[in-house]
Amino acid sequence: MTFFAPFTIPFIVGTIFLFVAVATKWILWIARLPKVDRRLIAHNFFSLGTLAAIWEVVRESLLHAKIFRRNPLLGFMHMSLAFGWFLLIVVGWIETIVYLGFEMIPLQGHVFFKYFMPLNGIEAHIPLFEQLMDALLLLVLTGVALAWFKRIASKAMGMRRATKHVLFDRIALSALWFIFPARLVAESLTAALYGGNGFLTGTLGGFIGELLPTEVLTTLYEPAWWFYSSALGLFFVAMPFSRYMHIFTEIPLIFLRRWRLRPTLERKSYDNFEVEACSRCGICIDPCQLQEDLGIHDTQSVYFLRDRRYNMLSLKVANNCLMCGRCEAVCPVGINLTTLRINSRAKRRNIPHEGRYRYLTSLDRSSGEGKVGYFAGCMSSLTPAVQHSMERIFEAVGEAVWYADKDGGVCCGRPLMLSGETDAARKMVAYNTDLFRRHEITTLVTSCPICLRSFRENYHLDGIEVLHHSQYLDRLIAEGRLSVKQGEESYSYHDPCELGRGSEVYDEPRRVIEAVGELREPRHSRRDALCCGSSLANTVIGDEQQLRIARRMTRELEETAADAIVTACPLCHKAIARSTHHTVVDIAEVVARNIAE
Amino acid sequence: MAHRVVIVGGGAAGMQTALELKSRGIEPVIVERDIELGGKARGWYKLFPSFTPAGDVMRPLAERVKRERIRCFYGQEVTEFAPDGVILRSGERIPADAVVVATGFTLFDAHRKQEYGYGLYDNVLTSVDLERMMNSGAVTLADGSMPRRIAILHCVGSRDEKVCQKHCSKVCCITGVKQAIELKQMFPEADIFNFYMDIRMFGPGYEELYREAQERHNIHFVRGRISEAAETINKRIQIKAEDTLTGRPLRMTVDMLVLLVGMSANYENAELAKRAGLELSPNGFFRTVDSFLGAVRSQREGIFFAGAATAPKSLADTLAEASLTASAVDEYLKNSFNK
Amino acid sequence: MSTLNFGYGINRPRAIDLDNNDLRKSNAIIAEMPELQACIGCGSCTASCTAGAITNFNFRKLHTAVRRGEYRGVYEELSKCMLCGKCRLVCPRGINTRGLVMLIKRKLGDF
Repeated sequence: MTFFAPFTIPFIVGTIFLFVAVATKWILWIARLPKVDRRLIAHNFFSLGTLAAIWEVVRESLLHAKIFRRNPLLGFMHMSLAFGWFLLIVVGWIETIVYLGFEMIPLQGHVFFKYFMPLNGIEAHIPLFEQLMDALLLLVLTGVALAWFKRIASKAMGMRRATKHVLFDRIALSALWFIFPARLVAESLTAALYGGNGFLTGTLGGFIGELLPTEVLTTLYEPAWWFYSSALGLFFVAMPFSRYMHIFTEIPLIFLRRWRLRPTLERKSYDNFEVEACSRCGICIDPCQLQEDLGIHDTQSVYFLRDRRYNMLSLKVANNCLMCGRCEAVCPVGINLTTLRINSRAKRRNIPHEGRYRYLTSLDRSSGEGKVGYFAGCMSSLTPAVQHSMERIFEAVGEAVWYADKDGGVCCGRPLMLSGETDAARKMVAYNTDLFRRHEITTLVTSCPICLRSFRENYHLDGIEVLHHSQYLDRLIAEGRLSVKQGEESYSYHDPCELGRGSEVYDEPRRVIEAVGELREPRHSRRDALCCGSSLANTVIGDEQQLRIARRMTRELEETAADAIVTACPLCHKAIARSTHHTVVDIAEVVARNIAE
Repeated sequence: MAHRVVIVGGGAAGMQTALELKSRGIEPVIVERDIELGGKARGWYKLFPSFTPAGDVMRPLAERVKRERIRCFYGQEVTEFAPDGVILRSGERIPADAVVVATGFTLFDAHRKQEYGYGLYDNVLTSVDLERMMNSGAVTLADGSMPRRIAILHCVGSRDEKVCQKHCSKVCCITGVKQAIELKQMFPEADIFNFYMDIRMFGPGYEELYREAQERHNIHFVRGRISEAAETINKRIQIKAEDTLTGRPLRMTVDMLVLLVGMSANYENAELAKRAGLELSPNGFFRTVDSFLGAVRSQREGIFFAGAATAPKSLADTLAEASLTASAVDEYLKNSFNK
Repeated sequence: MSTLNFGYGINRPRAIDLDNNDLRKSNAIIAEMPELQACIGCGSCTASCTAGAITNFNFRKLHTAVRRGEYRGVYEELSKCMLCGKCRLVCPRGINTRGLVMLIKRKLGDF
């Protein structure tokens, strides 16, 4: 048997095209990886990471476990399409092998097996296969139906807003929607003419067979297979340029990630894997407060990645993001959205003046002496109660403290980084690192979560332990160095983005509050906490817009009816304080007020 | 029988309106939240620009209210008002033929500008604290000593979008000038610096007083807003500003920092307005029909305004407006009930 | 008397010549962020400035110069900014100062 018919041509062309396109992309991306990344691959190739990656591919690329956890119906839709189709291919393959042995069968032989080998051509067919294949087809068709349903009623699937797509996506999407109904029709017609098949195509075939005369069936037969093959071919051609490229990108991404490759503040080839692994599922849209509070609908991560992928990223889209990390927290593919956003900005700014920051040379305005360094942060000078309270606490526990910026310091560099000015930021990093080293501190306490994240992620401070003041206070209380009195007051705690999602510090501030009073949680808290809107990462939205974001967030804190609102970031503090008439305090103030005499 | 008008608020505006109504043969009833009449002006030391003791204005008003046997409810808060009466927190309803809203304003809470350290540093006080100190006869630093260097900061809680107070509070500039002169008279050796963004001297005698402060009292006016304050070890206040006229940052240490706090709309205005079907202006004060012939009328017939409930006003403006309110109420009652 | 030191001090004309200064760039900047015109010159941005505490960087003077069509040296001078954001937090007019620094740098980058 030749396994060839003219209708298979669209499919064959599409498949070859797809293969070449995907292979080209992979090869180019891998070849352009920087040396560090290639070395990481070589080093980790034979490690447990590889096994973990295989398991993750099954769990996430096929079963979509993360989406399931978010919304079962949405998870089922993704799973039925991915896993269902995958099984159709696998079971189909097994079917052909069982019937024809390990002969060399061309790809279209497997895919259009029912055409080439209608059941009357097989002497001892196994009904189980027909039933199984029909069941799988039904599974995929359910997924397609749900995808249709999602277009009209995304809310039912836990998404208030679905993604708006580009042309390529629309072509691929339409083709995809036709593939399985076309297969259903083609296989049913085959069953109507030649009999056999399972509960779905067989029954439907029998029904059509009774309804239509044989001449009509024969006339429809070839076009039906043509249509099926064309839908497949079209989908395959559109695939590498559409969001469906994610199918072939997520798998290598999972491996690369397990081999410890990460995006950095500068763009590199690895970013391609992250950018194209986005399936544009749109799960990142709902958590975005710019969308919810301000009605901005073109800047969410899904659109940012889309625009970046097609080289149509505008400055406004790149810059209009709070980088609060709420989207990153829910992304089912685990894309490093913040880092990608930063390195997109880095590419878009102009080159700064050479002698920039020369004025930092030999500057030292620090005071005091001690192994513990305290870096209040630029913003903290506008919330002096924080610094005041910290000084009282240091005094109470008898800590010898070196004050890095009591009389004005140098910025940690993160604001520059967030704006894409990474080279400039490095000058701040170098300056501050040198300052810390020169004063030989072993612990660095900061009151600003932005600084904290910067010290942890962008500084190399080996030998210096970096703590946010909430962590430091928690430790003082736990170690018994600081005794506080438990009061009657209740506190509603706001998680600052850079402290919570950014630095994974959730429990320490809560323990501190519980040591002095009653803790109350707003509706959104911990990983789900809302941003105050004052984020330095966004340079597009105006003051009034920041205020709108702050007001909604603050309302949730007020709703707990706690005696006071507590936060642990000077920026959040300012944003909340201007949005409420309730008392707003920093966690350091809460502790300082409750020091047991 | 005389018509009855309930006046919400027994400050200068409320008292003056009540007296004017009484003289027109109308029965006024004052509902005051506090336990005595007088409002914000009670406890004030001297009034700008003439340095008239505030008591000389407020005391006669209160005495006349008493003499005229105007009915007053003390310690009672109005939770709802309508043209036909008001409802008190206790649930009691006072029926009326018209209502005058003379609820005044709320002083801006200086704690909200934490960068100035109010409540945190001992020698940072508000203009109101200073008046009280002057009234009690002793202006000193926290340790009882005399200040030798004083900074007065204008526009705290006024024209500041960061605390959602976009409006100018009108009276702080002239108050700042007045207090600077008073402090200078108290401490002739002291250097006094007024930090301002704009000096708005619109009233009669204001500009003259400003010039007097500059020339006769050698008050230093620095054009620049203080951005932050810090406390030194010996409890002095270190302040940062830009001297915008030389274009250079300015740092100085003072013994005392006085914050000229502005006027905010009452927090309760929103709820009261909603219940009465009235509108608020963007800054939260009650909105009047217009600022000309309808300056004391609300969007609802039978509800009138007097004083700072509609916008920041000086005491002089408030008293003048109260008479206007009384005449508008009188006219309304005549037209509506005596046909 | 201190003047803006842009490094070109000697050749600068004495007066701001609004008859001849080209305001096109300035207008383009204002068109993108009209709030720049809302500045009331209180100096809070400069007073609180982290870079201004170390060097003679003065954002208020710089953006005022730009609005007068005086662009020379502004880009280099703006490069001293650390973008820390304190100025935005103190601006009583709620001006997006950080956004402005970046916008002006972008528009004057090739100057």
